[in-house]
Amino acid sequence: MISTLLVPALIVVMLLGFSLYVPRILFPRNLMNLIVQTSYLAVFATAQTLVLVTRGFDLSLGASVSMVSVIAALVMVTVAGGVGEPVVYAVVLGVIAALAAGALVGLFNGAVSAGFAVNPFIITLGSLNICYGIASTISGGRPVFNVPTVFSSVFYDGRVLNIPAPILIAGGACLGAHLLLDRTVLGRSLYLIGGNPRAAAVAGIPVKRRLVFAYVLASTLSALGSLLLTARTGSGEPALGGNLLLQSIAAAVIGGVSLRGGVGTVRHAILGALFITILSNGMNLSRVGGYVQEIALGVCVVIAVFLDVLLSRQRRAG
Amino acid sequence: MIRNSTWAPSRPERAFRIGVGEAGLLPIMVSLLIAVLVIFEPRFATVQNAINILRNASFLMIVAVGQMLVMIVGGLDMSIGATMALTSVASVLVMTAVAGALPDAPNLAILTGIAAGLGCGLAVGVINGLCVALMRVPPFMVTLGMASVVGGVALMLTSGVPVYGLPQPFIDEVGRALWLGLPTAFYVALAIVVGLALGLRFTRPGVRTLAVGGNRQAAAVSGVPTGVYLLGAYVACSLLAAVASLLLTAQIGSGQGAIGDQLTLESIAAAVIAGVSLRGGAGRPELVALGAIFLLVLTNAMDLMQVDSKIQSIWLGAFVVLAVVLEALGRGVSRRG
Repeated sequence: MISTLLVPALIVVMLLGFSLYVPRILFPRNLMNLIVQTSYLAVFATAQTLVLVTRGFDLSLGASVSMVSVIAALVMVTVAGGVGEPVVYAVVLGVIAALAAGALVGLFNGAVSAGFAVNPFIITLGSLNICYGIASTISGGRPVFNVPTVFSSVFYDGRVLNIPAPILIAGGACLGAHLLLDRTVLGRSLYLIGGNPRAAAVAGIPVKRRLVFAYVLASTLSALGSLLLTARTGSGEPALGGNLLLQSIAAAVIGGVSLRGGVGTVRHAILGALFITILSNGMNLSRVGGYVQEIALGVCVVIAVFLDVLLSRQRRAG
Repeated sequence: MIRNSTWAPSRPERAFRIGVGEAGLLPIMVSLLIAVLVIFEPRFATVQNAINILRNASFLMIVAVGQMLVMIVGGLDMSIGATMALTSVASVLVMTAVAGALPDAPNLAILTGIAAGLGCGLAVGVINGLCVALMRVPPFMVTLGMASVVGGVALMLTSGVPVYGLPQPFIDEVGRALWLGLPTAFYVALAIVVGLALGLRFTRPGVRTLAVGGNRQAAAVSGVPTGVYLLGAYVACSLLAAVASLLLTAQIGSGQGAIGDQLTLESIAAAVIAGVSLRGGAGRPELVALGAIFLLVLTNAMDLMQVDSKIQSIWLGAFVVLAVVLEALGRGVSRRG
């Protein structure tokens, strides 16, 4: 009981605490901003959750985001500038290219780590370097400008029923992931693979195939997140991924996803993302320095991991 | 190992086993790489280039064997880079402060600075080790969190700007001195690697560390204080990172808040390439040193061929993956034996 209420309670406490210092945090405009910001991180946290649940890791998350951003932007710019066709084609091709690139990274991660029975930590570490290298190389180290403005106006400024597009898209993606993990046999099998791999194998689950699927889905999701972020800046950014790796893991773990695998839902990921976003937003409004924010994030991670260990023991005992 | 009496290893498998032997593929890879380079890139085979490689490799060697110690006990230290940053910054700040207060005793300033730097390493290592040993927290996450905290502190102390004012003797004697043409850092690295290689194999603490990593419960049941050894591994790793940072700071000549950013991942790469298993229980310092040299030779070669540093990342990633896959395949081969 306590664990399910802990994080939401902390979030409320944090919001109220910050509001005493900077009341602006509770203004409607800031709250809307908060929710939009959370959407992005929620997508990445969900992607990481998919992999964490199988007792894996996706270290390539930040770098692949950068790479996808650059690829999408380059495709859009090239297609739009080249042929005199409607710019919409360029955008559609860019989106397809982005998702395909994401899927490829996931395929590499999953196939190599599951296929050769190697710790996914090292494999995703390798793909982190590879993605980073590709992102820097094809972008020349600089942002890719002249992305068709219709891309941003749809994926960032767009609104349906006055709800910003990022929230809708991110929400849809997270909902899909949640339904997969919660309601499908495939999804539930991922939990078993993470919680008790031997039992999963004995039960006849095609473990390797499912692992590959998990990684592909995770990377494709983060590619979607990358598209949303790219739409926000309006250009392909080779450094877009930045701190995302730590933040995605932190969000998942703080929200309640276990690093030991077998435990964790999309709800946890979203809660964790909300927590981190509010913390960051509050610190920004309070004019807290960038370095101190990093320290704060690190402390949160350590505390979250402690709690995870304590709760794991409770789970095993109970 | 059960041996089927009617089964015999095929020619390729025997050749693989004899050629690879205990040391794995690394010595072969390094020799091949160097041979190829000597043939195709004349600039590679100069004494000056070799000295450059060895100098840069020294820092990675020290840090990588530290990482190896942690990996031997089944963990991972992601905070190495941040520890190096903090050490660099703290030691320089202390040195300049003491030198300013007591200008007639530069050696005192240097010694207190070194002590401060090592103290940083000790503190970080103790925190990491306690979290892992006492609280049983996954090492990856704890050290990742600590990296954020420690890195943030380091950046805060400097506001992101290098800290100048290092006493000149420190730079001259430690940082940039050359003994037989090789820098101090190299000899320190050599001493550490040799010391650890002998220590792990022939001393009781060394053997026990390997035991703790190989099978913690068996070690505990045999009376080995596993918690102490876990703590010790993390403390040793952070101390080694501090040593490397002091040497690097001395060479650069100023305290850097971003020193060692890349080195965390490179230390893991060097250890993994050297066959150190992530599961723990095995690790050869001399191979890790070779792994560090391999990475530096690779980087050097790519620099000479004017390969862009961004593309170098791709190669580094690919090599790490390749090395790990080969090791896994090799395990499959030897398991059939």
